[in-house]
This record gives sequence, structure tokens and C-alpha cells, in this order.
Amino acid sequence: MMQASVSGNPAAVAAKRKLSSDFFKKGIVIALLSGFLYGLYAAFMTLGMSVGIWEHWYGEDSGLSVFAVFYLLAAIGAATTDTCSAAWALSIAAIRGRIGDFVRTIKTKPGLVMVCGALIGGPLASTAFVVGLQQAGGIVVPISALCPAVGAILARFLFKQQLNARMMLGIAICITASFMIGLTGLEEEAPPGLMIGIFFGFIAAVCWGIEGCVCGYGTSLIDPEVGITIRQVTAGMSNLIILVPLFGMISGADTFGMLGQSFTDGYAMIWFALAGLSAYLTFMFWYKGNAMCGAALGMSCNGTFSFWGPFCVWILLGVIMGFEGWGMPPIAWLAAIIMVVGIFTISMNPLDLFKKKEHV
Amino acid sequence: MKPLNYAILKYFTTVKEACANDVMDALKGQYGDFKAFNKKAVVSAIMTAEANALLEETRFDMDGNNELRVYYRAHAEGASTINKYIKD
Repeated sequence: MMQASVSGNPAAVAAKRKLSSDFFKKGIVIALLSGFLYGLYAAFMTLGMSVGIWEHWYGEDSGLSVFAVFYLLAAIGAATTDTCSAAWALSIAAIRGRIGDFVRTIKTKPGLVMVCGALIGGPLASTAFVVGLQQAGGIVVPISALCPAVGAILARFLFKQQLNARMMLGIAICITASFMIGLTGLEEEAPPGLMIGIFFGFIAAVCWGIEGCVCGYGTSLIDPEVGITIRQVTAGMSNLIILVPLFGMISGADTFGMLGQSFTDGYAMIWFALAGLSAYLTFMFWYKGNAMCGAALGMSCNGTFSFWGPFCVWILLGVIMGFEGWGMPPIAWLAAIIMVVGIFTISMNPLDLFKKKEHV
Repeated sequence: MKPLNYAILKYFTTVKEACANDVMDALKGQYGDFKAFNKKAVVSAIMTAEANALLEETRFDMDGNNELRVYYRAHAEGASTINKYIKD
């Protein structure tokens, strides 16, 4: 590849250095924000699924089969959130003048790749995540945060993105931090569905790893706002049209009646609308962050959601709403710091800090 | 008509090298009325493509208004990827 020529003008060199540095920093901030917004998404969705009609559905006298409580409710929760998110995405795209490009892009090859990524990360991962969340609680959030490792490894093989020993060490540190949060949950009073919940958390991690890698690369060709609109519309529609009716048929429940009740429960819908907005923002920043800093770093920054997830669920459901059982173990704070160290290890060589000092 | 991002990338496969202003001048006629057609968005799209190895920087200097001007080109592999995914 060609080597860029260096301008002799010091002002141009300084401006160029600033442009590159600002772009890289912006990418990291966007990727980190995606992690925090993911925490809000998980918290608002969990809250939506804890109030109104959902309280009855998860209650002992709901009359629903074990299968329906296990899978159908998770799919309806994911479908309600993703549909709200699709509505946000389409509205914002219309306001920002991107609807035309949305229609033009979805018919192209990269657009169809995004649709496939959205199907894997939408109905498949979201339902696995919600099943895990309902069975094992907030502990599933850090388990699903293993997706950066999957994404970075796939990006190495599929798109030849850089993955050196230092970056692998950083990913290992992030995974260790995720497990620290996960293992603390195992020591506490374990919910009956803990192991099956963790299993579904792993499935979500693999699906999101594939999605982050494929769609992050897709966003280098497609405008992220257009890309995320494709993702949320695909996820919302496929949840509503394929997954919910499928689980409804298997469980024998009145699926359409339940969907109607879910969308017309005013109190729960406030939280689903907020969950949908958070989902729109978190996935857009995820795609954008991955495209701006590469899948390994972008997904590791996004992986801070393993901290922000339980944190936001604890703040919203435990502290603000006063529900019991959503506390955050103290070791999670330590794990969060370790995760930050992991992210820095992926993004830069710590020895460079000392090298720079030597030059001064 | 192609999506704006596609048009930006495709343009690089037709020229030796170009900066954001060149891209905007070339696409102004077709995309001038797009809300997303502004220099900040075009620079971001180009730099994202560079981060994903579709484009590479060739040189930079200051223009007559004392604004930074960075030139990029689609190298052989990048051009091949762009042409593979984005048809005319």
C-alpha cells in the first residue's frame, strides 16, 4: 500500500494530527456510550416486563404453560422493545432526511448482509438474552458481554482486521472481568434457572459477536443511521411476524391477544418506549464505534455494558422503583475497573506512555 | 440513484486521489439537496472507510482558506471490495 506523504507545513501536520486523534477519540467515546446505553436498554426493558400485564403473565395464576412463560413472554418482550425501537429509528431517519437512503440501501448487497446480521442479532440474540435475563437475572448481562471476543476473532479471519497478542490479552482481561461479575452471582442465592439462563446468555453473546463483526463492517459502506434503521426494522418485524407466532403456535397461547395487551398496556409501554429509544441509540453507537475503531476495540468498549447492565438495572429497579433482588455485588465495581484496563490494553500499548515521557 | 455513502466510496474508484471538497464538488449535482450532504458527514464517511481499509491517505496540505485538506485513494484491494459490494 502507498505511504502517505508528509506535508512540510507544520500547521498542516498539527491539523492532520488533531483530525486523526479527534476521530479516534470520538470513535472510543461513541463505543463506550453504546455500552452505557445498553445498560439503560436492559433496565428499561426489564422494568417494562415487570409491571402491568406482565406482572400477571409472570404470576402463578396466569394460566400460561411453562413453555409460554419461558419462551413466548421473552419473544413478546423483545418484539415490543424492537418494534418501539424500529418506530424511533424510522421517525429519526425521516426527520434527518435518510428515509430515501434507507429504501435504496436495503435492496443492495450490503443492505441484505445487514438484514442477515439483524436476524441473527435481533430475534435470535434478543430472545436468548431475554430468556437468560428472566431465568438468571442481571448476571446474564456480563455473560453476554463475551461477544467482543467472538466479534474480534471473526473480524480477524473474515476482514483481516488487526488482532495481535496485546489485543488478545486485553480481550482476555475483559472476559475475566465479565466472569468475575458472573461468578459473584453464582455465590449469592441462585435463581432456579441460573444455569439455563447463563447458557442462553452465551448464545446471545455468539449471535451478537457475529452481528457486531458483520454489521460493523457493513457500516463502513452504509451510513450508520441508515444501517441501524435497517437493523431495528428487520429485528422488530421478524420478531413480530416469525418468532412470536412460532412460539405462540407451539405453546397454544392466544398470541395476538397477548401482543395486543402488551402494546396497549400504557404503563408498561412507557418503559418499552424508553427501552426502544435506548436500543436504537446503543446499537447505532455500537455499529458506528465498531466502524470507526475496528471490531476488536469497538466491541470491547461496548463490552462495558457488562458493568452498565447490572448497574442500570440496580439503579432503576432496585433503588428508584424499590424492587427487591436487583442489588449489585461490590466485586462488580472492581470488575468494571479491570475491564477499563482491558479496554486500554486493546487500544494502546501501555509501554508507549513511558516511551513518550522519555522523549520529553 | 445510489445511497449517498455508496456514491462517496464509488467516486474514489474513478479518480487517482481526492479530498472531501473534491467529493462534494463531484456529487453536488445529484446529492446537493440531501440533509446528510455536508462536509462533516463526508469527512466522517471517508475516515470510516479509511479505518476499515477501504481507502488510504495519500497526502495532506492546507488550502487557500487555511483549512486542512487530506487526500485519499482507493487502493487495489479497497477498490475491489467497493466494486464487489457496490454495483454501478
